[in-house]
Amino acid sequence: MARFEYFFREITSGLRRNGLVAFAAISTTFIALLLFGLALLISRQVNLMIEATTGNVEVAVYLTDPVNPDTVRSLTDTLNELPVVDDVDFESKAQACERFRELFASQRALVENVDCDALPASLRVKLDDPERYAQVEAVLKGQPGIDRIVDQSAFLDRLFSVTRVFRVGVLLVSFVMLASAAILIANTVRMGLFARRKEIGIMKLVGATNWRIRIPFLIEGVFESLIGAAAAILFLFGLKVAFINPLYDQIQFVPWIINRDVVAVIPWLLVAGVAVALLAGLVGMRRFLDV
Amino acid sequence: MISLQHVTKVYRNGTTALDDVSVEVEKGEFVFIVGASGSGKSTFIRLLLKEEDATKGDIYVAGKNLAKLTAWKIPHLRRNIGTVFQDFKLLQDKTVFENCAFALEVIGKPKSVIDQRVPEILELVGLGDKLNNFPDELSGGEQQRVSIARACVNRPLVLLADEPTGNLDPSTSVEIMRLLDKVNRIGTTVVMATHDQAIVDAMRRRVIELDGGRVVRDQARGVYS
Repeated sequence: MARFEYFFREITSGLRRNGLVAFAAISTTFIALLLFGLALLISRQVNLMIEATTGNVEVAVYLTDPVNPDTVRSLTDTLNELPVVDDVDFESKAQACERFRELFASQRALVENVDCDALPASLRVKLDDPERYAQVEAVLKGQPGIDRIVDQSAFLDRLFSVTRVFRVGVLLVSFVMLASAAILIANTVRMGLFARRKEIGIMKLVGATNWRIRIPFLIEGVFESLIGAAAAILFLFGLKVAFINPLYDQIQFVPWIINRDVVAVIPWLLVAGVAVALLAGLVGMRRFLDV
Repeated sequence: MISLQHVTKVYRNGTTALDDVSVEVEKGEFVFIVGASGSGKSTFIRLLLKEEDATKGDIYVAGKNLAKLTAWKIPHLRRNIGTVFQDFKLLQDKTVFENCAFALEVIGKPKSVIDQRVPEILELVGLGDKLNNFPDELSGGEQQRVSIARACVNRPLVLLADEPTGNLDPSTSVEIMRLLDKVNRIGTTVVMATHDQAIVDAMRRRVIELDGGRVVRDQARGVYS
């Protein structure tokens, strides 16, 4: 118990002592993690949209109702014989319905009003080389049980190249911000060590181990970054409520991220925050604590 | 308890602080290290704490060969050594009690041990009624008592004192020496670097005189010069 009291006292007094620098470190961490979280959420949103429009496959072969299992088998075999085909998956009406419900979890009205029977079963084909879509079309032409064949590879390519620029941009900015946050945290740790060099000298004299001396400073850095992370998480929720929630009703037939997606981002932010703070702390106190 | 065998210390700038020094100190001894400024007294103390490494020769403290002590074991060496300095090295924002407790806290002693030992040792140094005072409310002599209490609260085998009376007037110095004598009588080995002639002459203990980094005199029951 004495040990926890000791660490707690050291940390709180440290935060009070260099409040301004601590504030700078906290706010930079906040911005960095906010951008990081934004990048993750944007990726998620883009993925949702891509899945809604293309189902994440290059070629979709929609089948006519009712689906005959023999037809499915023979079509799958035919496709698998093509060297250009990487993978063929059958999606039943029930599975299509399930995917639709998950995709549009943000719009309950949509889910309730769409009759699942309206969604067709399909064969979902992945190609080794999307350029050679013509082969697939040639082999399937005239086969029974096919409603229509849709090639989405060109569209997917274009979409990916546009969104990649955006995602990479936000990620880059967030990394730059994380690096500045690390430098600021390293600086608070260093200032803390400097302000207390006399105390540290005495600690060494009476036989405190290096880790005994370091841990309060490390925890101080982690604590600062966790405050920044908490603020970033709250802010992300705020942004989502303010900008995405109104879209649920305004723009239908587009799947939007839901709260669960924001929650899924939290561990990443916390891990990134703690990792940056620990790294910064260790760098900040390097060469400062030689016995 | 302490053994130096042909120890030489050359600092990086080329200064030879100690030159082939061999000294044996038995358990329970009281030893003065005397000599002019720059004679190597402080280097002697710093080597025993492993704040510096000897350039040549072997040093043993409490049975440990300091040259072979890895960095992470140094704290454990220092827990066996109490230290007292001219400038007291007290933490101004902590009370007398907290200053002593600090020495136990940072080596992870439980609160029950702290609450028992700290008042005990402060009673021993005659500050039983000043537990809650801050260092700047105390006289120099009292502050040095606190630092001696802090050095002894972990019951070290060796007490190293570097000019402990350097900042004190003669009568206060005598009180501090009585206290160090008391600490010595309960079995602690005391090594004290000083150039306070009156004290050395009055105590009549073993005197090791350094000059230019060499031992020029090692005398049982000696005087300053």
